[in-house]
Amino acid sequence: MDKSKRTFLKAACAVLAGASGATLLATEKVATEKAARQVAVQPSVKYALIHDETKCIGCRACEAACREINHVPEGVARLTIERTGPYGEYPNQFYHFSRKSCQHCEDAPCVNVCPTGAAFSDPATGIVSVNSDKCVGCQYCIAACPYKIRFINPVTHAADKCDFCRETNLVADKQPACVAACPTKALVFGNLKDPDSEIVQLLKANPTQRAKAELGTRPKLFRIVAKSGEVAI
Amino acid sequence: MSALHFDTLVWHWPIAIYLFLAGASAGAMFFAVLLKHFVLKHNAYQSGFVQAACIVAPVAVMAGLGILVMDLTKPFDFWKILVFYNPKSVMSMGVLILLIYQVFMFVWIGLLFRQPIDAWCETRFPWMLKFTAWLTRFDATITGLLVIFSVALGAYTGFLLSALPGYPMLKNPVLPLLFLASGLSSGAASALLGGVLLNANPNSKEVHFIHRVEIPLILVEIVLIFTFFMGLVLSGGQSKVATFNAIGYGFWGWIFWLGIVGLGLSGPLAMNLFMTATSKRKWSYVAGTACLSLVGVILLRNFILYTGQMTIA
Repeated sequence: MDKSKRTFLKAACAVLAGASGATLLATEKVATEKAARQVAVQPSVKYALIHDETKCIGCRACEAACREINHVPEGVARLTIERTGPYGEYPNQFYHFSRKSCQHCEDAPCVNVCPTGAAFSDPATGIVSVNSDKCVGCQYCIAACPYKIRFINPVTHAADKCDFCRETNLVADKQPACVAACPTKALVFGNLKDPDSEIVQLLKANPTQRAKAELGTRPKLFRIVAKSGEVAI
Repeated sequence: MSALHFDTLVWHWPIAIYLFLAGASAGAMFFAVLLKHFVLKHNAYQSGFVQAACIVAPVAVMAGLGILVMDLTKPFDFWKILVFYNPKSVMSMGVLILLIYQVFMFVWIGLLFRQPIDAWCETRFPWMLKFTAWLTRFDATITGLLVIFSVALGAYTGFLLSALPGYPMLKNPVLPLLFLASGLSSGAASALLGGVLLNANPNSKEVHFIHRVEIPLILVEIVLIFTFFMGLVLSGGQSKVATFNAIGYGFWGWIFWLGIVGLGLSGPLAMNLFMTATSKRKWSYVAGTACLSLVGVILLRNFILYTGQMTIA
C-alpha cells in the first residue's frame, strides 16, 4: 500500500469519526433542547367532559343554554341530545340519551385537514376550536369529522361547533353553559392534568366509553353509559 | 336514503367536476409530453392532438379552480388558502402542487410553440428571442418537473378524498392510484377528442400511439377498482357495508356496473382490442371511444364522491 493511499484512508476515517461524533453530539443537544422546551410548554390544563348517561333525563336544558350563551342561530346546533327508545315493557320503560357534540379529539382530523389552520387545537387547553376569520368554508373539516358534529354557521358562513364555551363562559371563569344548566349534574367538565379534579376522580371510579375510539382520534368526551335498551351485535 | 341527497353528504357534484377537470388537465399534459418525446419530436406543435392537449390542460385546470372557489361558503376569502398554510393538510399541499404545476405547464407550452412565438416576436419584441433561447436550455428539467407535477396532481385528486377518516370507503390507499390512472386516461381521451375536433387526422401516428397506451391503462384501472373494493370487503365492518351500499342495488349500483364498468371501461377496451393499434382509424371511431372514456371518468368521480359519503365509520 503506497503512502498516499494510507494517508487518505487515515484522513477519511478521522473525518468520518469526527463527523459521526459531531452529529451524535448535535442530535443529543437538539434532543435535550426539545425536551427542555416540552417541559416548559407542557400545558397544565387539558379540558375534558363527562356525560353521565345514567343521570341524564333528556330535558335539553343544556341545548338551550348553549344556544343562548354562544348565539347559535336557529337551524343549526353545537349540541344535541339524541333520544332512543322507549325500551322495555310498560311500566318499566326507559329512554336512552346520548350527547352529540364535539369530542375535542387529541388527534383531530378536522385540524389535520384544514388548509388555512382555521381549525386548531388550542395548545394551552387542548380545546379544538375554529378561527372563523381564517375559515374559507371549504367544508373539508366537516367531511373529515367522524362524529359529524361540525356545521356551517349561516351567519358567519364559517365552520362552527362546540368549543367548551372557550370564547364565552371560560373567559368569564365560569363552567361551560351546558354544564352549568344541567339540573341533574350529568355533565362534569374539568382539567385532566389536575389529579384532584372531580373529572379525574370520576374517570378513575367509573368505567367510561368514548365514541369511535378505534379510529385513533383520542376523543375527550367520555360517557358513563346507562343500561342499554337492546342487545345488539 | 335518496341517491343524491342524504344526511352525511358534505361535498356535492361540483367537487367531483373539479376532481375530474384537475385529473384531465394533468393527464392531457402527461400525454402531450409523451407524444412530443416518443412520436413527434421537433414539430410536435403542429400536431392537432398536441394542440388540443395544450388547450384542454390550462382551460380545465383553471375552470376546476374556478368551480372550487365558487363552491366555498366564503368565495371572496379564497386568497386565505394561499396566504395561510397548514403543512399537515392535503388540501394545502394540493393547492401548492396546482400552482407549481400551472407554472411548468405554461412554460412548457411556451417552449413547445417556441418556433411560432419566436417568429412572431422577431420584429416586435426582439428581446423575447433571448429569453426563449435561455429557457430552452432548461427544456429537459422543465419537462421532467412538469411530468412529476402532473402525476402529483393526478394522484392528489385521490389523496384529497382518502384523507377523510370519517368515511371508510374514501379512507383507502388505493384511491389516489385509481384516480391517477383514470385521470391519465381522461387526459388521453380529451386530447384525442380535441384533436379530431380540430380536424387533425384520425388515422395519424399520434392516435395509434395513444390507443396503444390506453389498453394497458384501462387494464390497470380495472385491476385498481377490483383491488379497491376487494380491500374494503376484506377489511370488514363499515368498509364492507360501504362497498355493498355502493355497488349493490340502487341508483349508484347501476351507475357503477352500466356506466363505469360497462361504458367507461369495457367499451373503450373492447374497441381498442378489436381495432388493433395498426388498423385504420375513422373520425367517428376516435371521437366515440374518447367520449365513452370521458363519460366513464366523470361518472367514476361522482360515484366515488357520493357513495363514499353514504356510509360513515
